[in-house]
Amino acid sequence: MDWQALWLSLHLASLTVLLLLPLAVLLGRWLAVTRISGLSLIEATLALPLVLPPTVVGFYLLVAFSPRSWFGDLWRQVFGGTLAFSFEGLLIASVLINIPYAVQPAQRAFEAIGNELREAAASCGMSWWRALFRIELPLAWPGILTGMVLAFAHTLGEFGVVLMVGGNIPGETRTIAISIYDRVQAFDDAAAGRMAAVLLLISLLVIAATLLLSQRIGKRRG
Amino acid sequence: MTSRRMILAVSLVLAAAFAPAAALADDVPTIAAAADLQFALTDMAAAFHAADGRAVKLTFGSSGNFFRQIREGAPFQIYLSADEQFVIDLAALGLTLDEGDLYAIGRIVLFVPDGSPLQPDGELNGLKTALAEGLVTKFAIANPEHAPYGRRAEEALRHAGLWAAIEGKLVLGENVAQAAQFATSGGAQGGIIAYSLALSPAVSSSGSYALIPDAWHQPLRQRMVLLKGAGDTARAFYAFLASQRARKIMRGYGFVLPGETS
Amino acid sequence: MSLAVAFSAAPGTVVALVGPSGSGKTSTLRAIAGFMRPAAGYVSCGGEVWLDTTAGIDVGARRRRAGFVVQAYALFPHLSAVENVMAGLIDRPAAARREEAHALLARVHLSGIDDRKPSELSGGQQQRIAVARALARQPRVLLLDEPFSAVDQPTRQRLQAEMVELRGELPMPVVLVTHNVDEVARLADSLVLLADGKTVASGTVNEVFGRFDLRPHTGHFETSMVLHAPIGAHDPSTGTTFLDHPAGRLSVGLMAAAPGSMARIRVRARDVALAVGEPGRLSIRNRLRATVSEIAEGEGQAVDVRLDVGGETLIASITREAVRALDLKVGQPVVALIKSMALDRPGDFG
Repeated sequence: MDWQALWLSLHLASLTVLLLLPLAVLLGRWLAVTRISGLSLIEATLALPLVLPPTVVGFYLLVAFSPRSWFGDLWRQVFGGTLAFSFEGLLIASVLINIPYAVQPAQRAFEAIGNELREAAASCGMSWWRALFRIELPLAWPGILTGMVLAFAHTLGEFGVVLMVGGNIPGETRTIAISIYDRVQAFDDAAAGRMAAVLLLISLLVIAATLLLSQRIGKRRG
Repeated sequence: MTSRRMILAVSLVLAAAFAPAAALADDVPTIAAAADLQFALTDMAAAFHAADGRAVKLTFGSSGNFFRQIREGAPFQIYLSADEQFVIDLAALGLTLDEGDLYAIGRIVLFVPDGSPLQPDGELNGLKTALAEGLVTKFAIANPEHAPYGRRAEEALRHAGLWAAIEGKLVLGENVAQAAQFATSGGAQGGIIAYSLALSPAVSSSGSYALIPDAWHQPLRQRMVLLKGAGDTARAFYAFLASQRARKIMRGYGFVLPGETS
Repeated sequence: MSLAVAFSAAPGTVVALVGPSGSGKTSTLRAIAGFMRPAAGYVSCGGEVWLDTTAGIDVGARRRRAGFVVQAYALFPHLSAVENVMAGLIDRPAAARREEAHALLARVHLSGIDDRKPSELSGGQQQRIAVARALARQPRVLLLDEPFSAVDQPTRQRLQAEMVELRGELPMPVVLVTHNVDEVARLADSLVLLADGKTVASGTVNEVFGRFDLRPHTGHFETSMVLHAPIGAHDPSTGTTFLDHPAGRLSVGLMAAAPGSMARIRVRARDVALAVGEPGRLSIRNRLRATVSEIAEGEGQAVDVRLDVGGETLIASITREAVRALDLKVGQPVVALIKSMALDRPGDFG
């Protein structure tokens, strides 16, 4: 049982969720209320990671992370060390590929609130900020949380992008999913089996959590 | 969900997020090693730890893959390649401390899992017959594109005149350890893998093997090198790899050591 | 749809925007509240200019103090009744909010439901909370978009009676959108008639409802004229109250109001019959002396006759055949027989 890999995965998933939360709230809300004409195009772009093969995402990220690109070079100048094969690189990749998982449920939640309530809040004299915290978030949180749970679980299981962008460096980029792969190749089926069971258990917990949350959402609407 | 349970869940997530990452300040170098060293290097690292007290982190894969990663700046401190050309190329790019050292000559074997219609015949005659009779549907080798053991397997198969017949039935492992994994799993009727892997208990217990004549392929000249930025522990381990203890372990896994004959 | 609407309203009065669905009533309210920006427009309220497209002024909805009650009430579902009203009190010091909210709820006749959520309350209760919340902000104008349409008839009657009572105490104008002309007659001081986004007519209730040319918009049989008469005397033994209208004495059910106070009476055209000469013994006791001031033109069986009753206007809807039989002419004195009328009794909640 590779505890370091499990910890690394949990660490990565937690940080991903923390970074995505404000993004999901603000972007999800904006998408729900905006009326600009290119909205479908923006939604389609944000949904790309859902349909793109992980290797495509991994490929483009590798190109972007390489010190030969302006982004990778900038990173190296500011922080030293490369972005590829580093935990920070994984985190960036993880946040990017989880955007649709986090933003879409949040957007649906904000849409469900309806503009009438937002206008009522404005009629009460509430600032945009106050309306968000007092009116919208209390109503939208189950949907937002669903997105966070999905992103968390998805990060735990992410393999293709992690392998391409992170390599398999113990303590840095060897997540539990990679570790299972690694143990199988090392003919250590026992360890691989233990870790697979742990991931399976976590996935079941995630499904249970999302079911509970969607019931709560359903109750609120009904 | 009560608000108390929510707070607990959020605290757990925050704790995991902000907890200090694995101790990277310690000098525990990461070693990139060709997959054929899966068992041999693990044993050597354990011996090093017992003798020296310090630890190293091992990661196994295809030599070609590591070459590319190191070129992109992967933070390894030692690179053990199954093909010395990769090391030479890295040295030319200025990414290594020196030209490195030849540490072993590798061999390939035909591996046949229990229950397979193939016989472990190093001359590959059994394979030829089985192919002709249509008994072989899947055959595992490492990917010749970037895995040295895969390239040698291809060379041997071509030498035996079997490449055309077997090419469409090949299952390519990402590295030679994965090829061995395919071969032992029973999904393939057999494969060509590293001798060092076949000698390990995990592999040998699930089948039988036979050495393929080394004249049938380019030699597997395996070279290791310290990379730029290698620390003290890495250097100590590198030195250990040339020690008598280490050489004994290597011999046990079927490697031919430089200066010796098989 | 393009809008062409113009009106003004004094504090404490109710202006009704009337018209069929899609005629632009709600859009007008939304433009006043700041949720819709017309291509060209001017909105000024309580001395503040909220919108002036020529001068480039457009005060955001949040900063316009416009109390808006929408058809579905838009109560915050996760907040209790008192918390919903407190939402309108964010300008007040935090410590006083709950108390003031509680007082506002009491003012709209809601007690004991402070901590209940909207989903646990009836439509009538929700509507009152919405009104209380709108008033909480001490708005410069109160906008009501079909506020009585989502409840059943008995509740609607009660809510309208409460609104009549509340109206008298409000320091701001009220703009009421409705397609129910009965509501207009009961609640409004003046009205604007809309069709396809354009103003067809505006004026007091009697002025607009009394015009024959507007009948296609206002409806033949539903429009009421409004009469005013002071309370004369009570006769508890027969359960009757007498109203002393200049054109005759009216008797109604016993009212709990002091003699001298003014009663407001609504009479539908179809409930008025005419007699030439002194009528004989009839069960209809309410008769007013009237003079025919206009007889409507047009085809159809029913003819509208405008009457002058002691200075006020009444309309009778009778058959063409009756007009001929009675030989009705403009200026002719007649007796208006009122079969049924609706009374706004002060202090009565239905």
